[in-house]
Amino acid sequence: MSHEGHYREAHPLIFVFQHWVNLICMAGLAFSGFVIHGSFYAISMGGARMIHFTLMFVLAVNITSRIILSFWVKDANQLGTREVDTDIKNWLPQKENKHQLLETAKYYLFMRKERVISAKYGALQKIAYLATVPITFFMGYTGFALYGPAQQWPVWGFFAGGISLVGGIMTMRIIHYFGMWVVILFTMVHAYLAAIDGFKAFYGLIFLWRESPGAEEGH
Amino acid sequence: MAQEMREGIYDLLAARGVSRRDFLKYCGSVAAMLGLSEMAAPQIAAAVEGGAKLQPAVWLDLGLCTGCTESTAQAGNPNVADIVLDLLSINYMETIMAAAGDQAEEAKAKTIEEGGYILIVEGTVMTGEGGNTLRIAGKTGMEVLKEAASKAAAIVAVGSCAVDGGWVRANPNPAGGKGVKDVAVELGFDKVPIINLPTCPVNPEWIVAVVIDVLMLGALENLAVLNLDELGRPKLIFGQTIHDNCPRRGHFENGEFVKQFGTVEEVKQFCLYEVGCKGPQTFTNCPKVRWNRKASWCVESGAPCIGCGNLNWVDNDAPFLKRMPNVGGVRPETIGTVLGGAAAAGLLVHGVASFSSGRAKGAPVETSKAYDKKKGGDK
Ligand code: SF4
Ligand code: SF4
Repeated sequence: MSHEGHYREAHPLIFVFQHWVNLICMAGLAFSGFVIHGSFYAISMGGARMIHFTLMFVLAVNITSRIILSFWVKDANQLGTREVDTDIKNWLPQKENKHQLLETAKYYLFMRKERVISAKYGALQKIAYLATVPITFFMGYTGFALYGPAQQWPVWGFFAGGISLVGGIMTMRIIHYFGMWVVILFTMVHAYLAAIDGFKAFYGLIFLWRESPGAEEGH
Repeated sequence: MAQEMREGIYDLLAARGVSRRDFLKYCGSVAAMLGLSEMAAPQIAAAVEGGAKLQPAVWLDLGLCTGCTESTAQAGNPNVADIVLDLLSINYMETIMAAAGDQAEEAKAKTIEEGGYILIVEGTVMTGEGGNTLRIAGKTGMEVLKEAASKAAAIVAVGSCAVDGGWVRANPNPAGGKGVKDVAVELGFDKVPIINLPTCPVNPEWIVAVVIDVLMLGALENLAVLNLDELGRPKLIFGQTIHDNCPRRGHFENGEFVKQFGTVEEVKQFCLYEVGCKGPQTFTNCPKVRWNRKASWCVESGAPCIGCGNLNWVDNDAPFLKRMPNVGGVRPETIGTVLGGAAAAGLLVHGVASFSSGRAKGAPVETSKAYDKKKGGDK
């Protein structure tokens, strides 16, 4: 089979919903962040900041609950199957991913022709998806560190420590700024790879929860 | 005696054109800076009036431009602040003392021997070339500092240079410029309390506040009075950002910015954020205390804050008319855009290759892992 079927078991409805929330939050955060950075668009800074804040909280709750849910919700354990297993297992490295990182990279660099054996997600994919969690929380941390000083929160020391560690609030600002570019680059590559591997089928399932059957090789 | 002193002070004030009313008003503003209520104004006035407790002080000049001395002396238009500063019996200050040569050095040696003085340090500690990048009266600046600091009751580092090396320590820092606090352990005076008053130059009002703290509130006996932050700065002066107290903040919130100098937005006094204002990450009370006898301050006079109250402020804040400093000599925005552009171009090429190789239509999956094949086994 060259294009596996895309069944709802791969992405249960709750995850489709959470994926939407992630997408909206990240897009909104990047946009409002650009406005705050140097408003290319003359809207209220207070408004931009409020949007930036709200979306960050929503995103943090969404990601945290996504992690918790992954211990309960079952989803497909392979491409093109309705067989399910606990989601967290499909997130973390599995037997099928072993020794496949380099091979996967080679495939994407056109250094080999055949796709590599993987579980539901390939080795590179898993690394990228797992990395989104610390990156998001890191962005939250650096963002609060930029905002916090004037607030004189009791927990301020937690952020002040980070600021002196990186060498000042300006450095923190630059780190936050580059962090956003990391997220943008991730999203570009993520969206591209999903599209190139079958735009209609992947996007139909993850955005509209629409199933599509697999196609036979040579079809 | 006290009465005499009091009258003496009012005579002095009158000679400088300051009425009692102005004097009390000034004491009220100092009270506000110290985080006290206006009710404390008479107390402050009393402390100043009862200036019998003259506090001996030594003012050291290290690697400096004398801007802080200029700022503090503000020659030509003396006012109440001077009276307060007169309460410091400054026994040694290179730039303005009458004595010179051996006589001056003797006065300093005597004060040091007696101990219990306040040491005010202006300028960078020059550690380069074994400290020889600065020599004073036959000694290195570091030796002079070590001597003077060892018996001080407290050290007040005035201006960014004394706080952390200031602009002198900006890259590449050939003179090895450092702040007083940075060399405290090395020179063996780490037990002496250090009060840091950054900005370039120092604002004399802050020295006044510290002197009042010392005279009136007994800061030398109980350092907690000074309420210092982890960097040794009085929190009441350096606890809030400029941005949070800026009169142009309303324009910021409305998204009304000066995007270029010489435009109508500048005339309208819009927010200077987009021409590099560092107010949002600079912690000083410049908008409240202002400068030059409270005449004005940077933003009010139309210039963006260049963040001179920040640590390592030149490296962190230049170019001053940009939001962020360069990274490795390149604008962060350029780095971001180039990365984004390169990724987009890379994906485009990859996409074209995927389609032209037929891969986009689906590639076959390997029958066993390359790793297992190499090992000679099945998967
Ligand atoms: S001028 Fe500077 S300090 Fe004032 S509101 Fe604008 S950015 Fe903030
Ligand atoms: S407003 Fe900024 S640049 Fe001006 S004196 Fe204050 S900290 Fe320095």
